[in-house]
Amino acid sequence: MLHVKVIDLKKEKIEISNAEEFISSSKFGASLFFTGTVRDANENKKVTGITYDSHDTLVIKSFEDIYKEAVEKLKIKDKAVFIEHVKGYVELGKISIIIAVACQHRAQTYILSRYIIEEIKKRSPIWKKEHYKNEESKWLKGNPIQSS
Amino acid sequence: MKIRLELFGASRDFGETDFLELNLKEKSSIKDLREEIINYVNEKFNGNENFKKIVEASAFCSEDNNIVSDNYKITKEQKIGIIPPIGGG
Repeated sequence: MLHVKVIDLKKEKIEISNAEEFISSSKFGASLFFTGTVRDANENKKVTGITYDSHDTLVIKSFEDIYKEAVEKLKIKDKAVFIEHVKGYVELGKISIIIAVACQHRAQTYILSRYIIEEIKKRSPIWKKEHYKNEESKWLKGNPIQSS
Repeated sequence: MKIRLELFGASRDFGETDFLELNLKEKSSIKDLREEIINYVNEKFNGNENFKKIVEASAFCSEDNNIVSDNYKITKEQKIGIIPPIGGG
């Protein structure tokens, strides 16, 4: 069971309650919620916020691919996975990504959640432009994506 | 033929809109497109080295939403996305 979405902050909010509702089931004995939030410092600079950019179609495709691969590689049968990532401006402390997973057992949730976030970092076309207190805003360097 | 290059991430600084329109010869490849963007940066931004590095490190996305290699042949007028180095989360 999978839910994926890119949330355009100009149109809607990212809400942890949506994740809770999606993964909630008596079939599962463990639930894990991961949120990424905007930190106030990076490389000795005072960060005031981040603007996220996204290639929405490719991002959704990458989320679905990561889920499918997790099924094959981690062999976790029954599970619910909720992934949402924002695009637009995010203030300090606010959520940029939610990964919520529910499985039969707790060990599975830790493995699955960690797998998903690490793969998203490597493969999902999302970009960050950091805004600073006394400096010009800057796109972060990032890692090149590989062609298939 | 005309290519509409959709800009994402750091490449958004290449133009004032979300895309650039570039002219390529028939039977061009992604490698040719990359060179054309570098020519554009040379002309428009006086050879801005940071911009050129972004172009060199970028992948490209075809109209049917696949990441394509430098050998990929662009056979018709279409939109192509430039995918600079990524880093979400």
